[in-house]
Amino acid sequence: MDYSNQIRDIAAKLFAEGKIDVFVGYRMSGFDDNQVPVVITDPKETSVLVFTEKSVFNLTNYLKADHTRNKRVGLVVKGCDSRSLNLLLTESQVKRDKLYIIGVACEGVVDDKGNKMQNCMECFIPDAVVYDEMLGKLQGKKDYIVNADITELATKGLVERREYFEEIFENCIRCNACRHSCPLCYCAKCCIDQETSTLYNGTNTSSSAFHALMTWSLHLAGRCVDCRNCEKACPSHLPLHLLHKQNEKVIYENFQNHLAGVEEGDRGAFYKYSLKDPDDFIM
Amino acid sequence: MSFSTFVTDKAGLQKLYEAIISKHETYAPVEKFGKYDYKKVSSLKECDPDSPIAMTMSVKPLFFPRSSKIMKYESNSAGTSVSETEDDHLAVPRVILGVKHCDARGLQVLEAVNKWDYIDSDFQKRRANTVIFSTRCDKADTHCFCTSLDYDVENLDATDVALVNGIGGKLYIQARTEKGENFLKENLEKQSAVGSQQSAMDDIKKQYEAFAASFRLKMDYKDVNEKMSKRFNSPAFEEASRNCVSCNTCAFICPTCHCFKISDVKIKDTGVRYKSYDSCNNVYFTLEAGGHNPRPAKYRRWRQRSMHKFVFYKERFGVNLCVGCGHCAISCPVNISIFDVVNHVASTPVVL
Repeated sequence: MDYSNQIRDIAAKLFAEGKIDVFVGYRMSGFDDNQVPVVITDPKETSVLVFTEKSVFNLTNYLKADHTRNKRVGLVVKGCDSRSLNLLLTESQVKRDKLYIIGVACEGVVDDKGNKMQNCMECFIPDAVVYDEMLGKLQGKKDYIVNADITELATKGLVERREYFEEIFENCIRCNACRHSCPLCYCAKCCIDQETSTLYNGTNTSSSAFHALMTWSLHLAGRCVDCRNCEKACPSHLPLHLLHKQNEKVIYENFQNHLAGVEEGDRGAFYKYSLKDPDDFIM
Repeated sequence: MSFSTFVTDKAGLQKLYEAIISKHETYAPVEKFGKYDYKKVSSLKECDPDSPIAMTMSVKPLFFPRSSKIMKYESNSAGTSVSETEDDHLAVPRVILGVKHCDARGLQVLEAVNKWDYIDSDFQKRRANTVIFSTRCDKADTHCFCTSLDYDVENLDATDVALVNGIGGKLYIQARTEKGENFLKENLEKQSAVGSQQSAMDDIKKQYEAFAASFRLKMDYKDVNEKMSKRFNSPAFEEASRNCVSCNTCAFICPTCHCFKISDVKIKDTGVRYKSYDSCNNVYFTLEAGGHNPRPAKYRRWRQRSMHKFVFYKERFGVNLCVGCGHCAISCPVNISIFDVVNHVASTPVVL
């Protein structure tokens, strides 16, 4: 999977035609074979753009940054990234006519060590769902599967599960990097940023971390697209996907096989309240 | 005053570690999810004093905790009363094993600000009661640049006892402070001092030179200090910070960042006031009560961060606030290194 040349050409063309002000893509990190996001405003810089299986970070996170707000933006999206973009569009965070989206039929990305990311092995929508231009060969939808760590979580009792998460959250340092790196966390002031609240007071006590991460995960329930930006940002390497995947599974099973951002105009599970919704599950 | 150097081997070191852990309250790097953090240990099996630098959190939280109670209060109809919090569990005599040199230097740098203006007695007490036992790296990691900064990595006196690898499995244990000297006398069972033996000193020096040669990143900090001080208005800050996601991880894991916020946790009539980490990269950091924010743009926050590390702190206390550990770049989700930012800014033309 190497679309570097195509993306460079498209970006250069878009700048030349005056269709975009900013282009968000990936470049080589410069010190190893990993890649970092790059925000380009100068048409001359498009030659640094690359796209391979090392292009991990979800770039839709940059749509909430200073450089792209109210500007015409070109960006590259993989399957999962395009789902988060779909949600941002539905939630009126970005305007479709201000975006030029290069979709990629993603074959899966790899982590720093070169192993295929776990979320890519479970991926059910590898192709971008919203795009202006498509790169690569379409792979079509796949079956929804969850990894063994989630099915194992389901075998635990309520108390046991709480203890399991409490043990994980003990290592949380409350930097809120997970919330800031999440493309769907665009609230100007998130509830977990509050310093005056008794629950999420910004302290690093274990109860504050527990409440903050639980609330954060529930706010993303039915919206999380499993791009793992949060895990990539977490300095303590916490397995945050356990929270999101567990929510995703519960919602898939209970809300008519709902999967976040797959269809255009999808409003997320929690916005679609119906009296027939089941309530006999509480995580 | 000169301090002793002892020679031992791997088995001897294990024995020393075990003796320390059994006799003293000991903290050491403990692995969880592939990341090492300093925790209280009761046996050598739980921890790894030789943890890799890239995967180890800073030792700073043992001196300046991520959250600490600063006072308790009670308010009811009769009025408000304020009381001290319970005894500080970090201020008891203790030993920390496996501290990296850059981390230890971070504490030394922080001492300047903790002794200035307001004297942070908690920090001083914790440091005074602690023996720092450091291990020296053999090889630089991708983002390390400690040898480029204003301290002598080889003879660093921020650590009380230093461990240096020698040739052929030899290990040298060096006392660097009086506290360290006394500590070694008490704890080292079989004392085999090398004294001023030339061969041992040569061995240590050779190892250090090999270590210093393994650095990918090198810079002239004096040049950077001077150039940075003239580039406050440089547009380079905007360029360098463009792909920052403002996640604040860099400040939370930095061994020298010391900004904090105050928050109250109040339940009914009683409350506790906490001092917790904050970051100048956080958009709310400078937000005023009236709603005005003097640093609303990302590049302004980045400018503050890098200027504080390489200009303001240097002007006030004579040392850089960066120790070159590279933790910020390692933990950053988009791998921005303070090294790249300051060098990029220093290389641009002056803007008045």
